[in-house]
Amino acid sequence: MKTVSGDLEKTKDALKKLLPADDILSFDFRSGSGMRFCVLFADPITDKDLLGEQVIRALKSYAGAPKAEEVSAALTSPETKTEKSLDALAREVLIGNPVLLFSGMDGAVIVGTKKIFPRAVTEPPTDVALKGPREGFIEDFKVNTSLVRRRLKTGELRMETTEVGRRSNTVVVVCYLAGTARQEVVEEVKQKLKDIDIDVIPDSSYLTHFLSSRPYSLVKQVGTTEKPDIFCAKLAEGRVGLIVDGSPIALTVPYLLVEDFQSSEDYFVPSYRATFTRLLRLLALIVAIYLPAFYVAAQLFRLQLFPIKLLLTIAGSIRDIPFSPSLEMLLVLLVLEVLNEASIRMPKYVGMALSVVGALVLGETAVSAGFVSTPAIIMIAFSGIGLYAVPNLIEQTSVVRLVMLLVAGSVGTYGIILATAFMLLYLVTTENFQTPLLAPFSPVVGKDLRDSLIKYNLGSLKTRPKTLHSPNKRRLA
Amino acid sequence: MNRISKRQLLFFLACVAPVGKLALLPARLADKAGGDLLFPALLQFLLQAGAIFCVLLLAKRGMSFFELLKNTFGKVAACVLITVYALFLLFAALLPLLEQKLLVQTVFYDTLPSLVAFSPFFLFAVYLVSKPLASFGRMWDILAPLAAFGLAGILVLSVGSADFSALAPVGAAGGKGFFEGTMSAFAWFCDAALLLPLLGKFRYEKGLAWKGTLAYLGGGAAVLFFYAVFYGIFREIAPAQLFAFTATSKYFSGVSTLGRIDYLFIFALSLVMSFWAALPLQEAADCVLEAYGRPRGLPTLLGVGLSALYFVLSVVLDFRFTEALDVITGELVWIFPVFCLLVPLLLLLTRRRRREH
Repeated sequence: MKTVSGDLEKTKDALKKLLPADDILSFDFRSGSGMRFCVLFADPITDKDLLGEQVIRALKSYAGAPKAEEVSAALTSPETKTEKSLDALAREVLIGNPVLLFSGMDGAVIVGTKKIFPRAVTEPPTDVALKGPREGFIEDFKVNTSLVRRRLKTGELRMETTEVGRRSNTVVVVCYLAGTARQEVVEEVKQKLKDIDIDVIPDSSYLTHFLSSRPYSLVKQVGTTEKPDIFCAKLAEGRVGLIVDGSPIALTVPYLLVEDFQSSEDYFVPSYRATFTRLLRLLALIVAIYLPAFYVAAQLFRLQLFPIKLLLTIAGSIRDIPFSPSLEMLLVLLVLEVLNEASIRMPKYVGMALSVVGALVLGETAVSAGFVSTPAIIMIAFSGIGLYAVPNLIEQTSVVRLVMLLVAGSVGTYGIILATAFMLLYLVTTENFQTPLLAPFSPVVGKDLRDSLIKYNLGSLKTRPKTLHSPNKRRLA
Repeated sequence: MNRISKRQLLFFLACVAPVGKLALLPARLADKAGGDLLFPALLQFLLQAGAIFCVLLLAKRGMSFFELLKNTFGKVAACVLITVYALFLLFAALLPLLEQKLLVQTVFYDTLPSLVAFSPFFLFAVYLVSKPLASFGRMWDILAPLAAFGLAGILVLSVGSADFSALAPVGAAGGKGFFEGTMSAFAWFCDAALLLPLLGKFRYEKGLAWKGTLAYLGGGAAVLFFYAVFYGIFREIAPAQLFAFTATSKYFSGVSTLGRIDYLFIFALSLVMSFWAALPLQEAADCVLEAYGRPRGLPTLLGVGLSALYFVLSVVLDFRFTEALDVITGELVWIFPVFCLLVPLLLLLTRRRRREH
């Protein structure tokens, strides 16, 4: 390991060799006593005003010894540390923290004057609430940790920082409440982060792959949230959270499937309303997955499923359709997915036009031209709306819906039943961080059912979820 | 996931096990015993409850089925016995499997489809066999409410159409009807035999034997009520209604306006039944694996082998279902009481050998 030497020029050259990029600049100056200093910094990501104010101006009158501790104490920056390793110094420069070198030094001083470009803390688009806090995480991890710290003003809140990614050196903050989170889970998270060997972590979603026990599974195994209030509530239940620099989406483990049927708003409305909306979300998801499949299966294999009047209406609508029911449904589903994909990426004003084109031109004309039937469009529209009732599961459920549709088109209703059996068996045997995904339904954890698909009053939720095995069981006195 | 909890076991006995008796058996009993169909079924439930009580008492010894055999008869004999038992389970799997196949072909499709319609079941069976048996406790947590939902839904929709006076006069079928009904029903009552391979995968807790037996009898009571409703609706033509649970609710008055909403309950029960039909296969595989070791990949290989075997059998017996049913419930029916009633009782009565140090 190369370290700094007392020779300023030599150290500067060695660092320049490690950081040959053009945007790595150096600034040399002397203090009033004639001592030579040099600041090495990454131009685009260093706050130069702060550097001038807290370092250069402060050292102009420095007359002390060339000791890192003393120089550091003379600075007006609250965030300094000393370091000898050249590699570590280079890494700090790349993060945005300037490195202060001086003649006769025993170690360099790192100054925390990183330039931050945070966007405003706004309401996250994926998790809108009518009632309750509207703040959302942003890309800067410091802002995010401050949002968490502001809500959990306790010494038990631990935030352990680590870096992941050989090249990106992305900061990952492991957050948990000491004494509330299960220590085994904390250790497992840290170990899994330590084991990651990848060059770049651009977003927290990359980490989910490494944190999952079945990384190639379709099933989500790590919780995600963009809202600090939800994040803190999960920490308070005994979960471990991860905030990743550069990502507005925080992760939480252990994850239970039922979490995605809950919304932060459920805790700010009466419990009967929360229960109703949770059940509605489940129903919407079931409809989204199964409606197109059963429609196709019923048409192909079992017409009795339809009431007679509805059967006659459907028969009238599909009479002149040139495609088989499954192909027709697949086409409509494909169009919906394409429209959906395009409307998300397009600018808003084009998106409006696209909706008109999608709804009127494609939908209306396709029906009148006899390409697709009206019932098929209704089914897919209903299914599409249902899918968005549980926004965190859209990626998974849209694939399951497609699989069910293919199964229904080829094997019929029994195929749907078997596919469901497969899915259930897979889900009940999935565990992550020693926690079953389908808890508290499988295995049944009686007390945890009080805040699952049904929600009891706050007064009844006296203990933390038993599923998470928190050492601190009591929540409400 | 490595152990089945007491609650899961009770769920299995109360809700999952009775589902296997809702398809062909009611029509079969109606054929043999007429309006007295409840009595052979009641006797079977009582006999099974006794056997289940024995098995649950065996659980007190804290040993798996194989360990129990090994401890009693020695390792070599235990290997032979467990192989024989696995063969019995494979034999016992035949009836629910053929039942399931016929159910799929007659209930789920308007036109008789090719074998492709049922073949995905064997893929499911492969997957099921590859999973450890103890992980099924969690599955029962899901299947039990589903079964209860299905049966309750069908009963609610059909009870209004039933005329319970059809069950009178009691004893009209006479001793012969009762005897024939009881004998042919043996093939459907393997619950105690299915419980034996689960030994060692759950821990005996105080009162489990009683609770388990009562849970089973509770499920049995619901099944008997269903039989009464079934016969109350169909009377003399009941023997022709092959799949009772799919037939009783179709006379619900709302069907004409709402469509066959009862299919929701039928689908729920069919889902449970697909697990039920594959359970003996899985247990047979587990018995073999426990006796001869569980090297990596063997469970899947065994699953593929067994599923392929049963796929071939289902093809061979495709149009000979009635003959196969007659053989299983006729000439070969004695096999069931031997394994389902005698084996648990004998195991309970045999003295333990002292453990070798």
